[in-house]
Amino acid sequence: MTDRIRLTTRRRTFLAATAAVGGLQLSSPFIIKARGETPVKIGFIDPITGSLSALAVSEVESAKWTVAQMNKKGGILGRPVELLIEDSANDTGTGVQKAHKLIERDKVDMIMGDVNSGIAYAIMGVTSDKKVFHIVPGGHTDPITGKDCKWNTFRTCNTTAMDAAAVTGELVKRFGKKWFFITPDYAYGQTLQANFVKNLTALGGTWQGDMLPIANTDFSATLIKAKAFKPDVLLNNMGGAAQINCMKQFVQFGMNKEMALGGALFEIESIRSVPKEAQTGWWTMEWYWNQPNVPHVKEFVDAISPAIGGRKPTARHWMAYVSLHAARLAAEKAKSLDAVKMAHALAGLELPPEVALMPGKIQYRAGDHQLMSDIFVGQVHPPGPGGPDDLFTIEATVPGEKAAGPAEATGCKISWPS
Amino acid sequence: MSTAMTTGRAPGTRAYLQLGIIWALLLTVPAWLPMLGGYTAIAGRVLVFALAAMSFNMLLGFTGVMSFGHAAYFGLGAYGAGLTLKYVAASTPLAILAGTLLGGIAGTLFGLLLVRRRGVYFAMVTIAFGQVCFYIAYKWDSFTGGYDGLRGFLRAPIDLGFTKIDIAGNETLFYFFVLLVFGLAVGLQALILASPFGRTLLAIRENERRARFLGLPVERHIWLSFSISCFFTALAGTLYALLNNFADPLGLNYVMSGNIVMITVMGGMRTFWGPLVGAVLFVMLQDYVSSMTTNWMFFVGTVFVAVVLFFPRGLMGMLQKRSGA
Repeated sequence: MTDRIRLTTRRRTFLAATAAVGGLQLSSPFIIKARGETPVKIGFIDPITGSLSALAVSEVESAKWTVAQMNKKGGILGRPVELLIEDSANDTGTGVQKAHKLIERDKVDMIMGDVNSGIAYAIMGVTSDKKVFHIVPGGHTDPITGKDCKWNTFRTCNTTAMDAAAVTGELVKRFGKKWFFITPDYAYGQTLQANFVKNLTALGGTWQGDMLPIANTDFSATLIKAKAFKPDVLLNNMGGAAQINCMKQFVQFGMNKEMALGGALFEIESIRSVPKEAQTGWWTMEWYWNQPNVPHVKEFVDAISPAIGGRKPTARHWMAYVSLHAARLAAEKAKSLDAVKMAHALAGLELPPEVALMPGKIQYRAGDHQLMSDIFVGQVHPPGPGGPDDLFTIEATVPGEKAAGPAEATGCKISWPS
Repeated sequence: MSTAMTTGRAPGTRAYLQLGIIWALLLTVPAWLPMLGGYTAIAGRVLVFALAAMSFNMLLGFTGVMSFGHAAYFGLGAYGAGLTLKYVAASTPLAILAGTLLGGIAGTLFGLLLVRRRGVYFAMVTIAFGQVCFYIAYKWDSFTGGYDGLRGFLRAPIDLGFTKIDIAGNETLFYFFVLLVFGLAVGLQALILASPFGRTLLAIRENERRARFLGLPVERHIWLSFSISCFFTALAGTLYALLNNFADPLGLNYVMSGNIVMITVMGGMRTFWGPLVGAVLFVMLQDYVSSMTTNWMFFVGTVFVAVVLFFPRGLMGMLQKRSGA
């Protein structure tokens, strides 16, 4: 108990400091409030903390900017839009709880989220149960618009099957048919690898691979195994921090001189955080800021850039932008915020070029509610003449429909509520 | 001592008053929570974590043994319930029973292996077992859904024969259902702690060697205490699965074990109701602060550190001490 006396003064300062730091945190604006009328409330759930935070932060900053722009142009159905952002902390239980909170307490009109496929999946359970319109901007696992698809859920980012199909042909054509996979052992990784294998074996290729924990840090054993297999191409399917670690070790081992490197996704957020030597390989981009021949892309890039620290927007910024505008278009076509009417309106609605920001005409197709966006296949390289974000050169553009195959083949059967 | 009143021996008027306040608040949640900006699902979450922490507290607070792997039994309960609903039958009581048995029996068997360990070794072995369960759920993709978690089940309405209680569609009814299970479970816990067996646990906590010299089979009692604690924790896990209509491997992870310990210590590990207070604080902090700032974990951590430094007996312990119980 003598300790307590010694601690009293410190406790005062400590509490004061805590309160001060706390005050600072609370003062920053997290909810964008618009003026007048009852706002249209959009709940946005993303893993702002945890291993996917870099991607989530891009989506969130774009969502804030998009909503602010939308409000300047009259919001949705003439009503201002209010964005409520919640952190799922990369934990499914928390994500589900936040979905309940947004729907039951805040009475949001629609939900967006989550970067983590597993959480997106779990949130779908809540939104379809509560009949709330839901767009998944950036969770890739196939069943969301495949066998577990729901009438109320639309997805903006590609499926793993689309990404894999788009890049396989290019890699085989340029490097060869003997492949080694490094894959995270969860639904995203497994479906991605299965899709690669399907495409590769169809072209007569052979393969080996390792399934590793999602947050793996040490890749030496796997890389030694890969070295012994002498593949033409090494496919790095890891995500987030694990992907970066894998790339760094791959380069440290000097393997970048022995084999080509590729994979489905190497997002700009990740490319920025690896050393120059690891900024390499053949990958797909779901959207890229440098599309000189596509109208409206430059306008979008120039407009959003000041709001996101002067950097170029990434595919994640685009996903949030498209998702929010798709929701607006659906509400305007349906002339209602009713989930069923909005879902019917959005299915098959062609996105106007200033929203799509893609060379092709894209839509959330009616069969599985998956956005049929163009997929860019190309090479990652260290920053080029175009600035620090000039990290990718588009070599081929694959139409989404071609990569995705027919909607019936995804196993999706949409059943509408009566 | 405060433990005397909380375990039911000759409870004073103050104890009745405390009990009355707690139950009055819990029973009227759907009436007052929305006014404070809450929602009913979060009250269910508080009860689930409170039950898990109170069960854990039988071990930590009343037997004096530290387990760092209680998430294993919590998660097994959740998976047991989810798997039953998904593969066996759409029956909520059956799911609860199966989940509780799965987690409880696993804990009972595993307890046999660890009763001879003490202190940090006991804690380490419990972590190890927790992680074993985590990786099984994580790797066994076809059965448990792997990292994405177990989906595709919904809690079923309870059929009483003459009437159906729709806990599936009605959040408020489901809250009362959880409250009923919570009430029965903590009532049973209080009875166990007030029984002669409960008293021997306190004796072991206070002085294990002396308890041994008095002829108490210390190992067997610790094992029993561990086993009972696991059954109740698994029960909390089943409710968690029903609450979310979902079970995920992170529920088995050591992070969850850490949360259970944190809730218990924040609330007060030597008091019976302490973990409930801890759960209220923890869930509210997590929910409200994380809506305001992405650095919410900093606040949860700060509160935890503050509690450990300044109120080592936890919030409930402090309250009781202040009022001179």
